Amino acid sequence: MRVIARATALTALGLLLGAAGPADSPVNVPEPDGLYTGPPRGYTPATLKGATVIDREGLEKLLPDKPVLIDVVLADHRPAGLPADRPWLPTHRSIPGAVWMPGAGAAPLAPEKEEAFLRRVAELTGGDRAKPIVTFCRPECWGSWNAGKRLVAAGYSRVHWFPLGVEGWQDDHDTAVVKPDRAWAESGEGRAAER
Amino acid sequence: MKRLMLALSLTLSALALAPAPVRAGATDTDEERAARWSEIKTSIFGDRKVEASESAVTIDAPARALDAALVPIGLTLADKGSVKGLYFVIDDNPSPYAAHFTFGPAADPGEIKLRVRVNNYTNVHAVVETKDGRLLESAKFVKASGGCSAPMGMSDEEAMKGMGEMRLKFAGEPQAGKPVEATLMIRHPNFSGMQMNQITRDYTPARYIEKLDVTSGDQLVFHLDGDISIASNPVINFAMRPDIQGPIKVVASDNQGGRWEHSFPLPSASN
Repeated sequence: MRVIARATALTALGLLLGAAGPADSPVNVPEPDGLYTGPPRGYTPATLKGATVIDREGLEKLLPDKPVLIDVVLADHRPAGLPADRPWLPTHRSIPGAVWMPGAGAAPLAPEKEEAFLRRVAELTGGDRAKPIVTFCRPECWGSWNAGKRLVAAGYSRVHWFPLGVEGWQDDHDTAVVKPDRAWAESGEGRAAER
Repeated sequence: MKRLMLALSLTLSALALAPAPVRAGATDTDEERAARWSEIKTSIFGDRKVEASESAVTIDAPARALDAALVPIGLTLADKGSVKGLYFVIDDNPSPYAAHFTFGPAADPGEIKLRVRVNNYTNVHAVVETKDGRLLESAKFVKASGGCSAPMGMSDEEAMKGMGEMRLKFAGEPQAGKPVEATLMIRHPNFSGMQMNQITRDYTPARYIEKLDVTSGDQLVFHLDGDISIASNPVINFAMRPDIQGPIKVVASDNQGGRWEHSFPLPSASN
């Protein structure tokens, strides 16, 4: 109940201040019933049932509560056909302190990866289902929506979805270089993780 | 409802009291970015010394790009008489080494323009190599992201239609004693290899223009070593010496064996 009141209050506040919704899109995208399995890039819904959608200001306000920040941006894919002697130096910048689990928002996800994701989040939250969690990737990316959906389904009560993602954050904040989370990367074989 | 009002007023007062968001100090980031550049520099130039020189080459780029897959870059070289080559690097692109121009005797290397893909908010670097072997660098920060993996918005077949077609446009009437400015447009998807087909979720293999030679008569204007960071349908602005002879020959080849050759007559002088 408290969660709903909080969500309602935030929504009401948004309306009151006339703030633009965090997921402005030219089309009204309805929430799918379950995980979204369509093309990973595209317009996303303005809502995520059971979770709070936050904009940059919302994230700034949440940070003092030390939320678990989960970045699901896909890892850059080394192109087929790139000569072997070309320097290939992928790097990823994220919100400082974020845990990067590339591709954890993919759907479908191999069962062992799905399990690994939930196990890792359980570790990061110390088993506290009421710990605030933020999922994000890039704008118009369904991965972070799916990741949030998975966590809501797993019983986490303070899931936040930050649809603006790394781009929205780096607009006026510093980012930090992050490496893929090792436990996540080592769970199962690479191919599933890339998708 | 009472609870809601309470939550609201609490949030509002918190808002009123909250200090203005502090811009985080850029020190960590600056250090990380410097370390990144130094890693890239070593991979391209080895132990050669690269001197900072903001004046040797000026980078003109939008501080915030409208389209990260099509970021216009202008490079102005201060001392064109001493220039041998020009490197362009996009630090945070996974394949940072975007372009290397080598100028020939027919070039007037005062300015080069091209369009690139930018993967994330990043420093870009231009490095001039002088005829006496010095390397002079300058940098600029560009805000754009997602350019390397942005789908082209059409099928691969459609993107490859007319591949290798070229146009060469001259800027105005030729004038005695003035460099001949030209714009070369090549139809080629320049697939980065990082673009995912949204339906099949397969990656389109990298197919990009690897080598480009522009010659005037039997003299080289420039040679370009390209990379996946150059935007699809490459457009390059360059200039040639006033006294060049036609025709202008362009030979382009890509990393999958495609090779295209076109010849363009010089516009006739009006005097």
